[in-house]
Amino acid sequence: MTFYAPFCLPFILGAALMFIIVAWKWILWLLRLPRSDKRLILRGLFTHRTLGAAWEVVRESLLHRRIFRVNPLLGYMHMSLAFGWFLLIVMGWIETISYVGFRWVPLQGHVFFKYFATSLPHKPFFDFAMDLLLLFVLSGVALAWGKRLYSRAMGMRRTTKHVLGDRIALSALWFIFPARLVAESTTCALYGGGGFLTGSIGGWMGAHIGVLPLMNLETVAWWFYSSCLGLFFVALPFSRYMHIFTEIPLIFLRHYRLRSTEKHSSYDHFQIEACSRCGICIDPCQLQSVLGINDVQSVYFLRDRRYGMLTRPVADNCLMCGRCEEKCPVGIDLNTLRLNSRDRMRNVPDERRYTYLRGVDRSSGEGKVGYFAGCMTLLTPRTLSAMSTIFEAAGEEVWWADREGGVCCGRPLKLSGETDSARKMMRYNTELFRKHGITTLVTSCPICLKVFREDYDLPGIEVLHHSEYILRLIRAGRLSPTHGTTRYTYHDPCELGRGSGIYDEPRAVIEAVGELLEPASTRENALCCGSSVANLAISDGQQLQIARSVAAEMEATGAEVIVTACPLCKKAIGRGTRRPVVDLSEIVAASLK
Amino acid sequence: MKKRVIVIGGGIAGMQTALRLAEQGVEPVLIEKEPELGGKLRGWHVLFPSFTPAQEVLTELRRRVNDSGIECRMSAEVCSVSPREVVLSGGERLACDAVVLASGFTLFDASIKEEYGYGIYDNVVTSADLERMFNEGRVAKADGSAPRRIAFLHCVGSRDEKVCQQHCSKVCCVTGVKQAIEMKRLFPESDVFNFYMDIRMFGPGYEEMYREAQQTYNIHFVRGRISEASPTLEGRVQIKAEDTLTGRPLRMSVDMLVLLIGMRANDDNEQLARGAGLERARSGFMKPRDLFLGNVCSNIGGIFYAGTISAPKNIGESLNEATAAADAAARYVMQ
Repeated sequence: MTFYAPFCLPFILGAALMFIIVAWKWILWLLRLPRSDKRLILRGLFTHRTLGAAWEVVRESLLHRRIFRVNPLLGYMHMSLAFGWFLLIVMGWIETISYVGFRWVPLQGHVFFKYFATSLPHKPFFDFAMDLLLLFVLSGVALAWGKRLYSRAMGMRRTTKHVLGDRIALSALWFIFPARLVAESTTCALYGGGGFLTGSIGGWMGAHIGVLPLMNLETVAWWFYSSCLGLFFVALPFSRYMHIFTEIPLIFLRHYRLRSTEKHSSYDHFQIEACSRCGICIDPCQLQSVLGINDVQSVYFLRDRRYGMLTRPVADNCLMCGRCEEKCPVGIDLNTLRLNSRDRMRNVPDERRYTYLRGVDRSSGEGKVGYFAGCMTLLTPRTLSAMSTIFEAAGEEVWWADREGGVCCGRPLKLSGETDSARKMMRYNTELFRKHGITTLVTSCPICLKVFREDYDLPGIEVLHHSEYILRLIRAGRLSPTHGTTRYTYHDPCELGRGSGIYDEPRAVIEAVGELLEPASTRENALCCGSSVANLAISDGQQLQIARSVAAEMEATGAEVIVTACPLCKKAIGRGTRRPVVDLSEIVAASLK
Repeated sequence: MKKRVIVIGGGIAGMQTALRLAEQGVEPVLIEKEPELGGKLRGWHVLFPSFTPAQEVLTELRRRVNDSGIECRMSAEVCSVSPREVVLSGGERLACDAVVLASGFTLFDASIKEEYGYGIYDNVVTSADLERMFNEGRVAKADGSAPRRIAFLHCVGSRDEKVCQQHCSKVCCVTGVKQAIEMKRLFPESDVFNFYMDIRMFGPGYEEMYREAQQTYNIHFVRGRISEASPTLEGRVQIKAEDTLTGRPLRMSVDMLVLLIGMRANDDNEQLARGAGLERARSGFMKPRDLFLGNVCSNIGGIFYAGTISAPKNIGESLNEATAAADAAARYVMQ
């Protein structure tokens, strides 16, 4: 029995080309990893991490569990294509083995087994199983067509605008399984066999079409099927479908604790090409939903960066609110990738600009607890005076790091891509904090908090957001706010919630003071105030539009007062509403007797 | 039967409109939401550039209105207008033949610019507060002592995208110069600073007054906005600014910080405009039909504008416009 026919050629060439290119990419990316990353891989390879990664591959690359959470129908569509195809391949191998035993069969022998196996006795179980799986995949293809027509049925208001290469690959993919159905059915029409799908269609064809046209049709159908496969495979490494072979190593590397940083590294390739351009990141983006900006979302950013077409306007136009990252089914570290693109495009430190840092120390007071207001809190002095009241009421001795002015925490510069300049400020503040011997550092700005926790090296100093600190004081009985009847609603600041995982503490503090009403989008899904320091592109008017939309949601709760825990959010939302917008510390200070 | 024109707003523009309408043989009805006529001018001390007491202008206008027997509806708020009818918030409907909107402006709320500490620290006051202090004859720090160093900050709530006020309020520059001179007259030993972006001296005698402020009164003008203010332990106000002419950051403690607050559009302009189909400018002020040949006319026939309802203006301009609006309305109803 030979496993070759001329129509196999497109498939063989396509598959060979694909395997060579994918292998080349993998090897190149792995070799170019920094030494420390390679060490991480070696250390993790023979541990439970590998098993954990394998399990995640099953859950995410095959079953697409995370997409099910976005929308069950969308999840089913992705699963039927990925898992269905995977099962078809596995079942195909088992089928071949059961027919011809354990002997070497070339790849095309497995794929086009129906064509070659006409002379063998039929095994109805495999006919049935293979048809069932084919139906499974075809249902996914049908849904994908349906999604083109009406994506809202799958919970997506907008879908990705694809580039030409993607369209070619996509069309090839859509034709593969219908082509397979027709090819196998014609073979069944001529030689019998087949399950409920191919067998039935084959039977109908045999009864209605003559033998000669059927034989011609069979050749054409198998050629077409093979060509679709070949075309898809050739397009794969250059299109969105590269994600199939990138997500798997990405999951392993992630389990070995490789991470992207503010500087480019080879690991970024695994993240960038793991993007399937599913477009789930488009809907959460407020630049899209409020401002109608359609070409800067993560899917387009990653696409542009992958093909070397990334421009400053795209890289800069992002709030870095993390709403898309929260929804990304591949778990790509979108904010960090955007950050290191900005680093590469804008990092031009001016040495002279930072000479003033030398020897400045305007801090005052003495105590084990340090308070860092941050630039934005200095611009919202109600927060500052509320914190002063709270410290006094709790009898805390406080070292004021920057009440008389200080040096920026560095995060705004870092977010704008000026990472080296940001480091200068971080070094300055680190030395300042260490010099004054504090053991706790409290800040009322989530932007500062995030950079203190992630980029500062502060051994022996616990960094707290004021919401955490105030809650501790209340729980320790050092603060006794009176519970009033005011109804509050709480806005989760991006850097505090999604950025630092602090959701419960501010809520607990509000509930100690009054009643808390949750807005429609809350916690992980909270909206961005629109005035993010990470966005250098939108205008002030556009920021205001976003603020108004956020304020409208907060007002809809019916709360009398809007509370937030970030001075920037407070200023931003305050512009969009006539209701009072206050910082968490203000309501606590006001409730102290 | 005399034609009736309703004038909304009993400030200087409204009073002047009503007077002129009466002169033209039309019956004006003046509607004012406060219990007395006079509008914003009631809170002012003396007027630039001549230092004429505001009371002089106000008393004379009120006397004329009184003498001409114009019908005035006090403490009445308007909720909607159309060329033939004005509806008061109590539900009362007043029929008329035309309407002149002269409801003026709203002072910018300085506490929105939280970084300046208005309403948070002592000794941060607005230009309106200062006029009230002048009127009360008691200008002093919160502790009652005399200020030795005073800073004026221009453009608070004007030309500031961050608080959604992109327009220039026009009169605050000269008010700042006027108030600085008054302070210097009260406290000759004090140092007075004006922090500005641009100084816009558009009216007759303004530029001369600006020069006098520098040459005669030795008032300092620093080109740069104050970025933030904070209290000091001694109860003073520390301000941070950048002197943009020398390119240096600047930090100074003052005894009093005066915020020259701008004019913003009334909140109820939106409701009035929506009800009557009137067009508003992006700033929220009403938009005249034509800036040259129809600047007291709205886009709706029978509704006219007088004074600061359509843009920030000084008193002289408001009075002139009131006369023009009254004439336009009279012509309209006589047709």
